Amino acid sequence: MFEEIMPFLPFIIPLVIIQLGLMLVSVVHVIRHDTFRVGNKVIWLLVCILGQMIGPILYFTIGKGDE
Amino acid sequence: MKQFIALTKKEFFESHATYRVYILLAVFAIFGLMGPMMALLMPVIFEMMAADMAAMGMTLEIPEPTAQDAWTQFFSTFAQMGTLALGIIFSGVMANDLNRGTLVNLLTMGLKRHTVILAKFFTATVLWTAAFLLAVGTAYMYTAFYFEMDTIAHVLLVFGAPWLFGVFMLALLIFGGTLFGNFYGALAVCFGVFFALIAVNILPAANRFNPASLAGGTLSIIMGAGEAADFIPAMFVCAGVIVLLIIVSILAFNHKKL
Repeated sequence: MFEEIMPFLPFIIPLVIIQLGLMLVSVVHVIRHDTFRVGNKVIWLLVCILGQMIGPILYFTIGKGDE
Repeated sequence: MKQFIALTKKEFFESHATYRVYILLAVFAIFGLMGPMMALLMPVIFEMMAADMAAMGMTLEIPEPTAQDAWTQFFSTFAQMGTLALGIIFSGVMANDLNRGTLVNLLTMGLKRHTVILAKFFTATVLWTAAFLLAVGTAYMYTAFYFEMDTIAHVLLVFGAPWLFGVFMLALLIFGGTLFGNFYGALAVCFGVFFALIAVNILPAANRFNPASLAGGTLSIIMGAGEAADFIPAMFVCAGVIVLLIIVSILAFNHKKL
């Protein structure tokens, strides 16, 4: 199994880092802020965690409230 | 000029504060990776299918992936997902300031209105250029490493065309944002025009002049099927429309009540 994945590691490692990074930054932002333009905390947590790449994009462009 | 520089600085700071620049770079880095990765994964997926097909008594020829496959994947994700992501990320570029009323103070203090539009367009274009270079650079490096790659003819045109189309999308977003004052309007104008242009693209006669053919069309040059000259008229049309959109946006913004 591992040998099959090996040639793809140069793709998988940066992809995982970027996706996890996006997810972590957006989840931390959702937890630390209480105002949202649309929706609420629970919805945005779910979107950011489950939404892969799209979730964090949607949160920062549509969901994030103004400070 | 002083106003323009000050406002551009503010725009760059805002892109940092709203995380826009980081999201943009992350997303386009992923797009760059996806092209060569999909091309490499294709045979693996086909192999799985081939096993099923063999059980049914069919044999499947699995071709070796080439650099052309990697570019095909890259251009098709770029034309669809890239346009979508660019639209969503920059949808708030006008609306945020108009909604919050942050511009009112600056404008009453003597800031020229056209400077606002020009600074926003300039900042968005610089950010888009950076994201685009990151995506193409990533795709190029991975493709060159994993596949045997011939030199690409007309590199500037092949990659300049999708870049110019992105700038066209930005101009549409600023135009829509100025007209409607919210990000729904900006998105509606941007994607409305995008889908209308794709619909027009069905007519072969319109192809040469249609900016939508720039989004992923220059792939045909890499594949050796297209001529560079085929895309020149569309590029001129596209550049002309961008200038026109910015001028109309400035005119509309001059008459807008804040």
